[in-house]
Amino acid sequence: MTSELKTEHITINMGPQHPSTHGVIRFVIKTDGEIIHECDPDVGYLHRGIEKIAESVTWQGFVPFTDRVDYLASMNANWAYCMAVEEMLGTEVPERAEYIRVIAGELNRISSHLVAIGAADMDMGAITPFVQLLREREYINDLLEMICGARLTYNYYSIGGVNYDLPEGFSIKVMGFLDHFEVAVEQMHRLVTYNQIFINRFANVAAVSPEMAMDYNFVGPNLRGSGVKYDVRRNKPYSIYDKLDFEIPIGTASVGTLGDCYDRYFVRVEEIRESVKILRQCLQQIPEGEIQAKVKNAIKPPVGHKYIRTETPRGDTGYFIYSDGKTSPSRLKIRTGSFTGMSIIPELARNIFIADLVAVIGSLDIVAPELDR
Amino acid sequence: MNLLTDTLGMTEFWANVVIMLIVCTIVFAVFALMSGITSWAERRIAGRMQSRYGCNRVGPQGILQFVADAVKLILKEDLIPDGADRFLYKITPYLCLMGVLATLVVLPLGSRAMMVADLNVGVLYFISITSIVVIGILMAGWSSNNKWSLLGGMRSAAQIVSYEIPVAMSLLTPILIAGSLSVGDLLDSQGWLPWEWTAFQTPFSALAFFVFFIGSLAEGNRTPFDLPEAESELVSGFNTEYSGFRFAVFFMAEYGNVFLIGLSTTALFLGGPNLPGFLQGNPFLSVAVMMLKTIFIMFVVIWLRWTLPRFRIDQLMDLSWKYLLPCALIAFFGQSVFMLVAHQIPAITQITSIVVFIVFLLIMIKFIGRIRTNYKEQSIPVGLN
Amino acid sequence: MNAYFNNIKNGIQTVFEGMSISLASFFVHPITIQYPEDDISSAEKLKETYKGQLGPMPENYRGILDVDLSICTACQLCVKACPIDCIVIDAVKCDKSKVQGTKSEKPAVKTRTCTRFDIHMGKCMFCALCTLACPTGAIVHTKVFEMNKYQLQDLVLSFVSEEEKEKAIKRDSELKVEAAAEKAAKAAKEAEKTEEEK
Ligand code: SF4
Ligand code: SF4
Repeated sequence: MTSELKTEHITINMGPQHPSTHGVIRFVIKTDGEIIHECDPDVGYLHRGIEKIAESVTWQGFVPFTDRVDYLASMNANWAYCMAVEEMLGTEVPERAEYIRVIAGELNRISSHLVAIGAADMDMGAITPFVQLLREREYINDLLEMICGARLTYNYYSIGGVNYDLPEGFSIKVMGFLDHFEVAVEQMHRLVTYNQIFINRFANVAAVSPEMAMDYNFVGPNLRGSGVKYDVRRNKPYSIYDKLDFEIPIGTASVGTLGDCYDRYFVRVEEIRESVKILRQCLQQIPEGEIQAKVKNAIKPPVGHKYIRTETPRGDTGYFIYSDGKTSPSRLKIRTGSFTGMSIIPELARNIFIADLVAVIGSLDIVAPELDR
Repeated sequence: MNLLTDTLGMTEFWANVVIMLIVCTIVFAVFALMSGITSWAERRIAGRMQSRYGCNRVGPQGILQFVADAVKLILKEDLIPDGADRFLYKITPYLCLMGVLATLVVLPLGSRAMMVADLNVGVLYFISITSIVVIGILMAGWSSNNKWSLLGGMRSAAQIVSYEIPVAMSLLTPILIAGSLSVGDLLDSQGWLPWEWTAFQTPFSALAFFVFFIGSLAEGNRTPFDLPEAESELVSGFNTEYSGFRFAVFFMAEYGNVFLIGLSTTALFLGGPNLPGFLQGNPFLSVAVMMLKTIFIMFVVIWLRWTLPRFRIDQLMDLSWKYLLPCALIAFFGQSVFMLVAHQIPAITQITSIVVFIVFLLIMIKFIGRIRTNYKEQSIPVGLN
Repeated sequence: MNAYFNNIKNGIQTVFEGMSISLASFFVHPITIQYPEDDISSAEKLKETYKGQLGPMPENYRGILDVDLSICTACQLCVKACPIDCIVIDAVKCDKSKVQGTKSEKPAVKTRTCTRFDIHMGKCMFCALCTLACPTGAIVHTKVFEMNKYQLQDLVLSFVSEEEKEKAIKRDSELKVEAAAEKAAKAAKEAEKTEEEK
């Protein structure tokens, strides 16, 4: 009798147009009803060949393209690239420019994390916190617009400094905003992060042990969510991060197992708080002075290569540059956090519910353009 | 009736048919209007909760938005996906709508006289007829030839079937109090004062009210139980493939369901259309009271939707079987024991109900305090300008 | 068992808190801008409507590009800076203050004038690299962001009109003629000189 009752796994396409894949990513999942047996991520739908574009534009001209690598954290992407070129040229960035870079970068980190946690909330069906968090992000966009005139693709960092100086009264505005922001975000956490339904959805789901996280080359908040205290800003300090006082939050298994979705989510929540701390310090310490080092009009780095690592909201982002002494890079390679996060999905998405897969994607904070570049 | 038989010379049968048709039209019109307005209200409320406006373009404050939506949907092409089970696919939306509409037969829009039919097994009818919706949803999921829809349909079947039980169990408590299965008798067993309502009679009936409300949310597929249509998981669940008029019908059934949740909760637990003694029988006032309470419950339903995240399917089942069902049973047994005790000491009924109501009031005061603090926190200026 | 009751307790408490928060935000004024009706360029109006919540459009907003041709020297630096080649400049030599009728303190200097200055706004990504590169500040971002057009071709902004172009070309050829005449005169002079020497 039982031999006649054959069941079949159904193969479902999740994506490329699916509300919770955060862009165009496709997952081919084999499910037995609600339970996933196999999940095969299919990436590349948003590949725009940015690395190749680099070979045909000037060194300075590539900065606006780095905006497009990770549209949620353009400032940080600008920063990584500019730093790489500066290292090649041996340019010393003025101190004020470094402070401005940290301010802009941390503001952008906050706004990126707001989207990350907001989108995770929305995947869990809580739409109000998402919209409210986006409202806060909108204020940050306003602030960033004040300093560079654009809201999403900033192109603010230049090789050797930043393009514009801070406008008048900027630090007062940021301080005022932070006072509002801390309270408002805490309230949103009371609305969703500490909500029991939400905790039940995220806790104990898809736990990644520290060893596994390192095996799969996790970076950034995902790695720290598994309890590994590694942050490029601390472990290999660049810019002025060694002068600043901030903590590196790690996953603590506060409600579930170590490295589960909730830990990864909560690390981002904590990082927002740390970023606020950094911003306050920077705004108090920022010196007067130049914002742009002297660089030649036509930049021609010497022949050689350089790999630079920075901590962007999606983790350890690296720019490898090979120069043959011409006006444009000979080869440029971008290493991003989303891609390593993506590679663990087939492993994690085994014997979990479809709804959990959504939670996993949300908690890994995968951004499609950064994944495919 | 007399008018029809005497002056128009109809037979009694035809007169009945005519009256039936008129009543049906009225009920359907109220239902359609309410579901339209609910869809508008939902968007406005959601908007305000999210610091936006919601629809405010069509008509004053956007109230005609639902008309515009309906017109748009009717004008759209009625697509039937390739490989769909055409007959089932076509019939399904009406089945869903029917399941929802048929419930209205035993629910009063106003006082007891304003029921379509005061069946003597009204509560049983109410419980059973709501299950027709699940067949509709299951069929929609199956016939669409879409795996996401199928999953949605399956979820919905599992969900509605398991939530029937706590709902039915929790309804035993008001039935015990009224001693009847007729909705009319349930209305009559409650007074107009809040502590005379079934919900605040005893701690047990309060518990039953709680269980019933959560259960009917789940049966109406509302967040946090909107798994069958879970937008971020199943795209749009069972109605993914529907378009045009058929989708409009689904839409109407969905929002009509919110109206029904309000109506049934009000009628069964919140005192229905009861008025103070000297106003008894005033039809307009009783409709007004009934509608006010219904609208309030509908507001709560919408408010919950825009507050809470969604359950996962296994947690949903856990909630039903491990939490709500025991609660409903406790409510039932507790109420039975309480009634036995109250039979000996009649004064206890009055006292308990007032105590329960006072406890409820205290909770509300605390709640309003929280709202005030949160409002103050939200009003901290940003100072960008 | 403990976990069971904790779950219930936390569930009710957090839902209670969440509902109070969402109702509180129900009473807060929305912050979305009713765009075509509300004037977003003026900070005062925004302040009035949105109680100081929203920042006004900043002065350095990067909207569509504008070129002040009277100070543009047609140096082509912006063309070189643009990573996606959406600026096209053709230029001729001419004394532009004379041609364009602009009054300058200095006497008309022989310089270059654009006969074509097109920016393809459909391609432009508003990166501001051209404005940063421009030595004279001729090319700037404006605060205009409404630029919907019916045709892609309409998105190509031409800053030099046909008339001006013709004027410039004419002046150019005039100048050329003048220069040629001068040259000829010079050559003649030289020829004379050499003849005299002979
Ligand atoms: S860089 Fe400035 S001056 Fe030079 S051509 Fe462009 S707009 Fe004119
Ligand atoms: S803003 Fe950027 S893309 Fe646009 S014309 Fe200037 S340099 Fe080119």
